[in-house]
Amino acid sequence: MGPAPGGYCGQALVVDVTDGSSTVLPLPDHVLRGYLGGAGLGTWLLTELGPAGVEPLAPAAPLAFVFSPLVGTPLTTSAKFAVVAKSPLTGLLNDALSSSHFAISGKLTGHDALVVVGRAREPANLLIDQDGARLVDAAEQWGMSAADAEESVRARHGRKWRAASIGPAGERGVRYATISHDGRHAGRGGLGAVLGAKNIKCVAVRGDRRVPVADRDAVLATAKDLRSRSFGPATEKYRELGTLSNLLAFNAVNTLPTRNFQSATFADAARLSAEDLAESRSVARSSCASCSIGCEHIYASKGGAKARVEYENVFALGPMCGVSDPDQVLEASARCDELGIDTISAGGTIAWAMECVERGMLDAPWLRFGDGAALLRALAEIGTRTGVGALLAEGSRRAAETVGQGSSAFAPHVKGLELPGYEPRTMQAMALGLAVNARGADHNRSGAYEADFTGGLDRMHGTAAHVRAAVETEDRAAIMDSLIFCKFLRGVFTAPFDEWARLLSQVTGWDVDSGELRATARRIVLAKRAYNLREGWTPDDDWLPERFLGGSLELGSGRTATLPPERLRAMIDTYYAERGLGRDGRPLVTSSDSRAESRP
Amino acid sequence: MSYTVYSMKPSAGVVLAGGRSSRMGAPKAALDWHGSTLLRHVTGVVERAVDGPVIVVRAPGQPLPELDPKVVVADDPEEGRGPMQGLAVGLAAAARHADTAFVCSTDLPFLHAAFVQAVLRGFEPDPDAGWPEAPEVVLPFVGGFRQPMAAGYRTALASRVERLLGEGRLRPSHLFEESAVRQLDDAGLRADPRLAAADPALDSVVNANTPEEYAAAHGRPAPEVVVERFGVLATRGAGRGASRVRAANLAAAARQAGVPFDGHVVAAVNGDQIRGDGMWPLLAGDTVSFFSADAGG
Repeated sequence: MGPAPGGYCGQALVVDVTDGSSTVLPLPDHVLRGYLGGAGLGTWLLTELGPAGVEPLAPAAPLAFVFSPLVGTPLTTSAKFAVVAKSPLTGLLNDALSSSHFAISGKLTGHDALVVVGRAREPANLLIDQDGARLVDAAEQWGMSAADAEESVRARHGRKWRAASIGPAGERGVRYATISHDGRHAGRGGLGAVLGAKNIKCVAVRGDRRVPVADRDAVLATAKDLRSRSFGPATEKYRELGTLSNLLAFNAVNTLPTRNFQSATFADAARLSAEDLAESRSVARSSCASCSIGCEHIYASKGGAKARVEYENVFALGPMCGVSDPDQVLEASARCDELGIDTISAGGTIAWAMECVERGMLDAPWLRFGDGAALLRALAEIGTRTGVGALLAEGSRRAAETVGQGSSAFAPHVKGLELPGYEPRTMQAMALGLAVNARGADHNRSGAYEADFTGGLDRMHGTAAHVRAAVETEDRAAIMDSLIFCKFLRGVFTAPFDEWARLLSQVTGWDVDSGELRATARRIVLAKRAYNLREGWTPDDDWLPERFLGGSLELGSGRTATLPPERLRAMIDTYYAERGLGRDGRPLVTSSDSRAESRP
Repeated sequence: MSYTVYSMKPSAGVVLAGGRSSRMGAPKAALDWHGSTLLRHVTGVVERAVDGPVIVVRAPGQPLPELDPKVVVADDPEEGRGPMQGLAVGLAAAARHADTAFVCSTDLPFLHAAFVQAVLRGFEPDPDAGWPEAPEVVLPFVGGFRQPMAAGYRTALASRVERLLGEGRLRPSHLFEESAVRQLDDAGLRADPRLAAADPALDSVVNANTPEEYAAAHGRPAPEVVVERFGVLATRGAGRGASRVRAANLAAAARQAGVPFDGHVVAAVNGDQIRGDGMWPLLAGDTVSFFSADAGG
């Protein structure tokens, strides 16, 4: 192998934490060019290194921290990394993104990815720098919150170390535990449980290798231009109020999931809104490393708990559970951070349980919609796997299978992953995206809500046009998640594939055009599907919960929003055709997309 | 656009744009309507009310003003045969997508979506009203006058209308003689609470046939609507809270509310469709919500 392309190290480090040994895995050009980095390269690594059918929490299951060719460049929002593993929640491929200094330091260890396999005998921290990997005892950090563990590791080993850590929930195998770095979570799919199952509390990185780019001046010019555009109207919402500014707007357009999707509006939404919080209490602003947007808004509750406030955590712990007291929602959000659990899955699973209680299916009479104290108690029990928490720590799909009595019909998940804060009946491009996405019910890998919000389509009547729009947003997400750029930057790209191809050429020296990147996007989407197929995916997995297909929503406009199963079926069939899949959703291997061709 | 596979046979809209406009002295379709055109306004109102396609039927070679891209244009092959000819073309075009259609002429400046929906609801069987089965035509009877150009028709009637045309029977009354017609009088229409609130005078059927009628209609104040701003829009300018403005379309409402309707902002009307189209019509009683177009994340 020759020198790595610009922006790459050309190798991954695979660490077996059973004995601390490590091996270097060369990453040939055609693999890097074919899968880029982040979620794409992570999918390739998982396919190559993960034994088929491996149990997600087994020692042999790999978990990869994957960087990208843009990490370390001055391009805004590029300090990001993907964590990729087989999800203990879905049993399928899961990639979750996080950001900031861990990405930069991790790549500067001289690796495009750090893969963890095995299981340490005792709780340990894994330290990796350019001299290699080593395990150190984690007895001191075990039981700490992720933030405290991260701080503890840096205090002990030095401030140059950057750490990604699990919280107590990851240690206890909560199936939607997160991996956190600098207060931000690789949140979805239970990756924290995977790391916890390996007896690893923290992965800490330190590095100062140079990773040159092909055309430094061109990259600098692009970075300057992009930074300037990032201050424009396309990102204003994120800068000024953060994603929580969605909440009142979603409420106004009947797409704010409330009380476990029994309604799409929440009477007390204003109390939880960004507009209200910004007026009524002080806010701290923050941003990831290398980011010029600065979307993070940190609010304190009356109890003193501080929480990074996003639309998704407020929706899931607020309207979804019927809770309207902002202090209790902020407290719950902070509690999720401390425990290291995904707020969307936590809120979705608790909301499902609240409905079960309401229907007399679950014996936990204290767990009622609208009761913030009950929400906090449920979170605490999930984090310790005590009481009803032992059931709810399994996620809504498994919990519904245990409870039975028809409760699966309203368990708010796809493929085991709980739904984000978008009502599928009033957003039918999004309904398709939620149904077919490899990760499960997910908004970031699909992005189809963009199509519903453009105003160009009837969002309550899915057609082939919605399918084409959803394929386009999924393709764009595949590239953004692999390059990696923050999604909040998406509005500043006027011709995204052209612009991404140009800057990738500047970084790598490859002669990439938009056509190649579009093919890469499709390859990554199909590679995820191929992985899932190998791990037991069936066509029935591409579907939505019964709740959305039977019931209707009455809107103030006089219309009724329904998503008949025949319409969803038609959209999925069209999606398969658009993707070149068989009628059963299985990939048809073609010469241009064959994974075999991409083997090193 | 194909609705075939995805549709549960929704209702369509048919707007007849042909006709000589001889009394008006100028093509009615292109008349100004508060910065839009009369045809675009009426098609937009119908589009708001139906969940299937909206079809504009035009005379041979008739130029049309700019329309919403989703509107389907059907060409009438023959001129001068009156509204029955347009009805035949429109129903035939709608039949592929819908079982029923609201059919109207271009010259209804005060048509309200609630009126369209009230008429279409007349297709639902209503044994108490003497309609155990769905009618073939729902015909408003307002102020003592039948309103065939603001009525609901089953799209399957297209062939019957064609036959009548072939027989030289060119009036809507000829169709009604052979069809199951449910008449909705003023009281029957106002029994719909949404319509009673939105259009109590049933101005939906007021048409503008002459320059004087058009001037009188145009001189009325634009409908009063409630405007809400969300997200960053609420943090500047007029700030938070709802305000009332008079505006016939989204562009006018945005202008009066101080909202930059510039592609980075979209609007929803009554929590329903999200639009970035400034010419999207507004109606009395509407609530308009403006928010960031990048509304995900």
